[in-house]
Amino acid sequence: MTGLLSILVFSPLLGIILLAILSPESHLVKRIGTLATALPLLLAIVVYSLFERGVEGIQFQETVTWFEMMTSISPNEPYIISYELGVTGLSVLFLFLTSLITFLASFAVHRITSGTKGFFILFLALELGMLGVFSSENLFLFFLFFEVTLVSTFLLLGRWGGFHKERAAFSFLIYNGIGSVLLLIVIITLFVELHTTNITEITSMLKDTDSFEFLSYNMRMWMLVLLLFAFGTKLPIVPLHSWMVRVHVEAPIALVMIHAGVLLKIGAYGLIRFGGGFFPEQLQDIALVLAILGLINLLYGAFIAFVQTELRALLAYSSISHMGIVLLGLASFNSVGVQGAIFQTISHGLIAALLFLLIGVLLDRFGTTRISELGGIASQTPLFAGFFLAAGLASLGLPGMSGFISEFLAFLGLFESMPVIGAIGVLGIILTAVYILRAVLAVTFGERRPSFDRKMDLSATEVASSAVLLILIIWIGVYPAILSNTLRTIGIGG
Amino acid sequence: MDYVWLIPVLPLLSFLIILFTRPVIYKKAGIVGTLFSGAAFVGALIVLFSHLENGNFLVEGNWLSIHALTLTVGLEVNPLNALMLVIVTLVSFLVHMYSMGYMADDERFATFFGYLGLFTFSMTALVLSPNLLQIYFFWELVGVCSFLLVGFYFYKPEAKAAAKKAFIVTRIGDVGLLVAIFLLYWQTGTLELDGIFSAAEAGELTPAMITLTAILIFVGAVGKSGQFPLHTWLPDAMEGPTPVSALIHAATMVAAGVYLVAVMFPLFTASDVAMMTVAITGGVTAVFAATIALVQNDIKRILAYSTISQLGYMMLALGTAGYTAAVFHLTTHAFFKALLFLAAGSVIHAAHEQNIHKLGGLGKKLKGTALLFLIGSLAIAGFPLFSGFFSKDEILASAFSNGSYILFGLALLTAFLTAFYMFRLYFLVFSGERERNEEIKESPRTMLIPMMVLAVLAVFSGFIHTHWFGTFLGDWLETTPYPVLFSSIDAPYWIMILASALSIGGIALAWFMYAKQSIPRNWLYGSMKEVHHVLYRKYYVDELYRTVFVKGLYALSYFWSYFDRFIVEGGATAVKGLVSQLGKTGVKVQSGQVQTYSAVAFSGLVLVLLVIAALGGYFQ
Repeated sequence: MTGLLSILVFSPLLGIILLAILSPESHLVKRIGTLATALPLLLAIVVYSLFERGVEGIQFQETVTWFEMMTSISPNEPYIISYELGVTGLSVLFLFLTSLITFLASFAVHRITSGTKGFFILFLALELGMLGVFSSENLFLFFLFFEVTLVSTFLLLGRWGGFHKERAAFSFLIYNGIGSVLLLIVIITLFVELHTTNITEITSMLKDTDSFEFLSYNMRMWMLVLLLFAFGTKLPIVPLHSWMVRVHVEAPIALVMIHAGVLLKIGAYGLIRFGGGFFPEQLQDIALVLAILGLINLLYGAFIAFVQTELRALLAYSSISHMGIVLLGLASFNSVGVQGAIFQTISHGLIAALLFLLIGVLLDRFGTTRISELGGIASQTPLFAGFFLAAGLASLGLPGMSGFISEFLAFLGLFESMPVIGAIGVLGIILTAVYILRAVLAVTFGERRPSFDRKMDLSATEVASSAVLLILIIWIGVYPAILSNTLRTIGIGG
Repeated sequence: MDYVWLIPVLPLLSFLIILFTRPVIYKKAGIVGTLFSGAAFVGALIVLFSHLENGNFLVEGNWLSIHALTLTVGLEVNPLNALMLVIVTLVSFLVHMYSMGYMADDERFATFFGYLGLFTFSMTALVLSPNLLQIYFFWELVGVCSFLLVGFYFYKPEAKAAAKKAFIVTRIGDVGLLVAIFLLYWQTGTLELDGIFSAAEAGELTPAMITLTAILIFVGAVGKSGQFPLHTWLPDAMEGPTPVSALIHAATMVAAGVYLVAVMFPLFTASDVAMMTVAITGGVTAVFAATIALVQNDIKRILAYSTISQLGYMMLALGTAGYTAAVFHLTTHAFFKALLFLAAGSVIHAAHEQNIHKLGGLGKKLKGTALLFLIGSLAIAGFPLFSGFFSKDEILASAFSNGSYILFGLALLTAFLTAFYMFRLYFLVFSGERERNEEIKESPRTMLIPMMVLAVLAVFSGFIHTHWFGTFLGDWLETTPYPVLFSSIDAPYWIMILASALSIGGIALAWFMYAKQSIPRNWLYGSMKEVHHVLYRKYYVDELYRTVFVKGLYALSYFWSYFDRFIVEGGATAVKGLVSQLGKTGVKVQSGQVQTYSAVAFSGLVLVLLVIAALGGYFQ
């Protein structure tokens, strides 16, 4: 099936066009918006099921030469930029994750009171950008799609955000703008030196033993450091995280679901695919730095999450903490740890989406996410309480759920190469339990408050959406081979 | 044997059925749960008998493989876990039945039975596990069930706090176990028990590594089994419904720590330091908890401290190489402690009161319960010919023949204290005259029958292993597939006489103080007020932890939180300021004044000319 990936990536366009011609007052806006996100989901499932597990290399490859540039310096070697798409085991999982979370988040868009049409158009543009990011086989294309996600997020945040939305949007733009510039520097340098921006070609050229002619060791190290900054801002790595906490607190819930569930994972994806893929030796040489950064993320996030009084900020720091495990897994630099890191990105995507889906319900029913203003709501909303507790348990790494196997693999890998860092890191496992239980129990357990007696429990749609995420979380937790089979050929350097 | 997997699956089905039909099933949930757990018990009996006939059984399959890493899942039946399986499913079945009466008026009746099913599933799966990862997996799941059931009355602030504490304190222990798993994997290349033991035997592990991993595993056991210093969660866990206390916090889950050490026994016996750690922790905990139990007033908390103390006893046995003694005591304890909790539940159900000083004289109103409680008390006190008598004697003998006389002394002391505090409890609750005259009714038959079954076992289960006419249990345990060290026990007969004397002495002292009252009840409070106070406040351990760990955590967290707000955010603001400054400079440049533009253009031209001149007219 040629062109399937292109169809998938650009499928949100259909919704954008339909919405564009629709009147903003039309009652069809919400329905079409959600249906428009269902189409990419279906296509992503098709791609996922057609994907051949355990086969090396890129699948669903599409190549169209976009433009060539001749230079006077080397007239025989033109600079070529192509429109190239393709997926690996890693990106096919991300495509599925993206389309699923976007679909589920689209229900949260329904609660937006003004400008639903505009929101959906930008929302679909964001999805297009994300799908493009994960299926680009070419760095320029990757960069373009990456910028699409930035612009659409910026606009969604600035227009539909909370009280401090301008500040949040501005800080988002500055951090991510700087990140983009650094990424662009790396891409251009590679392009100038290697005459290509095809990811597979670059990887194999850099692997070549005499490739040091093109790029010296030091040069590569610099580029890796730039990538670490660029994607580290996205992940985020402490201390580059303050923008992300603001986005979590200020952005509309539908956007936060995507932000925590997918956008942050572009950071992990970039580090694994480009940092580890292009410069494995250099990455190994700074593994200790990476591990220490991971440890800081893990513990710093956990400590701060413990004293947050607002659930969205708490979950933001929790995400920082969980992303620390991704760094630790990568730093272990063995196949087990790297798989753990990848597992963690997928797992956290699902768990964060579920948590924020529920936070959206909380915000809708109770109008607040301040812990002190909630409490004892299990009496009135038992279904919500059940799902919230389950999501919390998933987040703290309960066996039988995806969080456990991810943490287990990441730490198992880490204990081979850096047992001391691992031994400090496991403290994070205790701290996570402490802050998650504090938050979950403070909201759902406790004395019944009569003022909440008329609050509505989860609706059928909300139950269905939560259940889908929870089933996937448990599925991965009980049968992790579902991920590892798809990821069989993925390691650092591939 | 091929159908062993049914045993955990049956209670899991019960959980799923109840979970999905909760709104309609309501009262029938009790019947569903009881039937499924009963079926699991029958299955466990079949497994037990087929093990006696066919020996050990093991089946394994792949769970996850990543490059060189292969993780397996499997089911194993050996003497130890066949025995555990019977204990777990039997107590679970009886508790299910009992709960139909005890929980009859609860709004969340169905949910309760759902949780019980989930717990029974996790616990049976735990004992069937042939590898450490699987053990850890279900180890955490039973922890979560315990958490859910302790917090069952979620609207009570105490239950909320207790549930949180139970989860977090045990998790501290669990992390020790987890680290041991990581280390063992990289040292031996496997997580299967078989592989680990053979690697240890082959000398692939350094002695230091064996000691380290054994102690880390023990840390996990300490958390689960409520051993000092991670015992604080267990008394608080009594906030859960009483049937749960009987099932999880007396008979099965808390014994999982002892079970784990027994499973990993070949690793422990390879390190004297680890064995000594286990023995000392157990001995100290046994006395420590028994002394606290002397002065507590809540019927369930006294039993909880008693459980901690008895689990310490089992650890002491393991640490002094008394594998059989520990497993034996685990078995008898499961029966008589479950009985005691259920009987206490029957008292609470009838009198709606847990403070033993406000109870009293119930013997006449609750004849059945009183008799059952008496049987349980005699069994735990080690009264001659009751089950506790034999198993306790085995532990004393093991400590003595191991040559650790201090630990032997601790064990004797605990035996005396146990007899005393149990009968203090018994006399305060059941003897004397009832002052108030409210309606008190004996519990329904669904509650009494399970207790009767347990009472029979509490009396007779000691005879499965005696040196008088057959050490059946010990002989059978020796058919384990693993290289477990069975030390020959060679203890003088006076130990048995001494133990009986201590038991009867403790009972007698309690009788004089609380029934006959020829010794004043507040004797300790009157003569040694400080000692009483320290015991009553449980040696101030909770207060210490609150000051050091809880406040420490808050301090650290607030420190980093302020650091984040002022230093990191401050830095971010500075960067942002820089960017906007740059922007403003850009704005100034585009002032629209042609003079400025030409000035800039001219100076640029001059600069270019200068550069050309300096380079001699060439750019390259």
